[in-house]
Amino acid sequence: MVSVSAYAQAIVLLPFVSFVVALFARDNLPKGGAYSGIAATAGSLLLSLATLAAVYGGRTVNETFYTWAVGTGAQDWTLSFGALIDPLSALMLVIVSLIALLVHVFSLGYMNDEGEEDLPRYYAGLGLFTASMLGFVIADNLLMAFMFFELVGLCSYLLIGFHFREPGPPSAAKKAFLVTRFGDYFFLIGVVAVFTTFGTAAFAGAESFPHLAEAALGGDATVWTPGNMAESTWFTIVGLLVLGGVIGKSAQFPLHTWLPDAMEGPTPVSALIHAATMVAAGVYLVARMYGFYVLSPTAMGIIALVGGFTALFAATMGVVKQELKQVLAYSTISQYGYMMLALGSGGYVAAVFHLTTHAFFKALLFLGAGSVIIAMHHVEDMWEMGGLKNKLPVTYWTFLAGSLALAGIFPFAGFWSKDEILYETLIHGLNEPLLLIGYVFGLLAVPVTAFYTFRMVFLTFHGEPRSDLARDPHPVRWNVKGPLSVLGVLAVVTGGINLVPVKKVLGIKGIDVLHKWLNNDWGGIEGLSSHHYAKIGPYESGYLFGGEAATVIAGAAVSLTLALAGLALAWRLYGVADPAEHTAKLGQIRELLYNNYYQDEYQVRIADAVRDAASGADTFDQGVVDGVVNGVSSVSLLSSERIRRVQTGIVGNYALLLTLGLTTLLVVFALIGGWFQ
Amino acid sequence: MSDSEESAVAINPGAAAVALFGVLAGIILSSAAGFPTPAGFPADAAIVTNIGYALFDIGEGTVPVEGFLATFLIIGIALDVALDSAVYLAKREDDGTIISALTGGGNEVVDGEVAGTADTEAEAGLDHGGDD
Amino acid sequence: MVPVEYYLLLSSAVFCIGLYGVLTRRNALYFLMSVELMLNAANINLIAFSLMWGNLTGQTFALFTIALAAAEVAVGIGIILVLYRNFGDIDVMDAATMRW
Repeated sequence: MVSVSAYAQAIVLLPFVSFVVALFARDNLPKGGAYSGIAATAGSLLLSLATLAAVYGGRTVNETFYTWAVGTGAQDWTLSFGALIDPLSALMLVIVSLIALLVHVFSLGYMNDEGEEDLPRYYAGLGLFTASMLGFVIADNLLMAFMFFELVGLCSYLLIGFHFREPGPPSAAKKAFLVTRFGDYFFLIGVVAVFTTFGTAAFAGAESFPHLAEAALGGDATVWTPGNMAESTWFTIVGLLVLGGVIGKSAQFPLHTWLPDAMEGPTPVSALIHAATMVAAGVYLVARMYGFYVLSPTAMGIIALVGGFTALFAATMGVVKQELKQVLAYSTISQYGYMMLALGSGGYVAAVFHLTTHAFFKALLFLGAGSVIIAMHHVEDMWEMGGLKNKLPVTYWTFLAGSLALAGIFPFAGFWSKDEILYETLIHGLNEPLLLIGYVFGLLAVPVTAFYTFRMVFLTFHGEPRSDLARDPHPVRWNVKGPLSVLGVLAVVTGGINLVPVKKVLGIKGIDVLHKWLNNDWGGIEGLSSHHYAKIGPYESGYLFGGEAATVIAGAAVSLTLALAGLALAWRLYGVADPAEHTAKLGQIRELLYNNYYQDEYQVRIADAVRDAASGADTFDQGVVDGVVNGVSSVSLLSSERIRRVQTGIVGNYALLLTLGLTTLLVVFALIGGWFQ
Repeated sequence: MSDSEESAVAINPGAAAVALFGVLAGIILSSAAGFPTPAGFPADAAIVTNIGYALFDIGEGTVPVEGFLATFLIIGIALDVALDSAVYLAKREDDGTIISALTGGGNEVVDGEVAGTADTEAEAGLDHGGDD
Repeated sequence: MVPVEYYLLLSSAVFCIGLYGVLTRRNALYFLMSVELMLNAANINLIAFSLMWGNLTGQTFALFTIALAAAEVAVGIGIILVLYRNFGDIDVMDAATMRW
């Protein structure tokens, strides 16, 4: 019997092998490396499912594979690679490998069938992207997580800039890399701070940093803090430093600006980035070290507020966008805002639940958008579309399922997860005014989400075709329809893994599978369970209308009503045969929204303000650092240019040199041997 | 390389040989006292016969020597190879399709002629040395 | 019996004469002859030490060296022929194409 930890390594290595194969075999591969990528991710998916089954059977993993550095003296830290397979990471493994597999298959239709150039590079990027995300998921310590986090960022850079000969993608890729890098800088400091404070960066076990932090706050252990700072304050600071990386990767306000630009990448890549890999990494990281965050009410409050604000803020920008993928980009930001809100308000399970359902329906929406883009010959402006419903039935119905899930309409997956987030926020917020603000943000985002989602659906699929392309769309093949169908089904039914409201209202036991799963009901690692987090967390629950069931019904009713209201408004405005633009009615707000609240502008202004410092650093780099390097090389170039003159090619010169050398040697030996002594 | 360096080398490279001789002679003479008196060979020993024994490892000799049969055979083969290669190098392709293995600078042997080289009678005379 | 250092002096003299030829002559045939001289200097050394130790190995070795010298001349002449074909001359200074 192969152990679970061996599975874990194989899961990560398979896509990596496909990356290496695509990198070195290049033009010798059929379909530019698509098949090896599909095979590798399919293998990863099977092994992930086996891992899931193993965790279901109570077999978890927390072990170190490879220690690559051991400290000495007081800093006896070990830096290592290892795997932590618990219910959370097993679930995430399945999500990531499933989405990656479907994206690979979809790429056959989106990239190969469209005759894109340089496919091995594309598939190499996808393989490395998948491998780094899977490595990040199984990471058992913060440093390993950081390393794979950076790899994920690198891959997003490579893939967003895939069409590097056009002007837009390279710039978007650089922006994505630099903005997330800015957040990662804080993350790196956070990693160092964790090491200095706890001497370990492990996520789980008795020697892990969440556990040590808990013990330190309880007075059972002592840890290093700078300048005798109170432990709780210091933990908050460390948590917020790591949160910097999360905000960058998960595109939370104010570091969300890279994500809409990242739409320049190929659409399957967008699906991968948004649903399963890059953006999910941030939220997953918070969930992974949740035991550390719950110790700090301040950090939790900040997470909740940032998340809630981002949810609403991004949703409003999605309302006016003209391009299909732009709308989806802002909805992604908004949805990850919800997850952060859930994490910040103690809804650990709700966040993971939304992460799961969102992965499916957002991958579905992006792949659906990709299908529409193929059909429209790469025109993305929704005002050029319309009436595609009958031409692309599979795309339409699956896209509709994804949209209903995104809008949070009963009984699609998004409804259950979003409702649980709002419910958790509400019950914890009743005793915590700060969370109530987050709840209001989240609630307000619901109708906006429904509105922009269905504006998108109506503009794209309904009404009369508004261009020649839309009248005669390009057909799509099985490799597009297949992934869409799988995800369409998942977007409808995934909500079923966690029917908490039904349980609470009707009292049916055992249908909140995800709650039990994350609560280690089938086995897990001590200290990484939702009840443990709830126990050490800062929040208490409060209920409205005198009871749990009543609160559930009230919350769900409010959010569903708001979602339906948004949907109805979208229907009224855009669900007609020949819709017109209504953005003029927004007045001055319209300009604000079109310009994304001038976020890019003010960030550019901040960047400009530090230009002097940057140019100073540039001078130092060019002059001193490069000067030394160039100096060394030019010295060796020059001297070799001179010395090679010795090689004249004339035999006599060589003989002369030999003679002189022999003479010199003889004289030297003679002197050593006793002449003149 | 500058002209002055080249001429400096061309003027008197033989001086290096003289200098080497000076050094060698100095070393030999200064260490002459360290050499033992030559042992020499027995007066009645037949040196040539002994060398013949040594070449074929016969071991009948009276003067101390080692066996050299293997060396003898190897040298024989080496001589053969050297002669063959000399023949090969001297060979000329009359149909002019083969580029000599040692042709330098990309010169091609065309119709028995070196491209860019004037034909001479001496060359034709040399031709007979290697072939057939 | 003649002390061995005289043989050595003779040998080094022959060697340096050969070397002088190599260093100063431009004609490849002179070159070959000079190399021959240097080889024979080595032979003198071998025979001198053979005499010094009363052992015939050195003399046998000198025989082999003579055989090798024959081989070397054979190849050398061949090379000179090719040199002549390629450069139209047997001046060793002309054959300077095998360098960087």
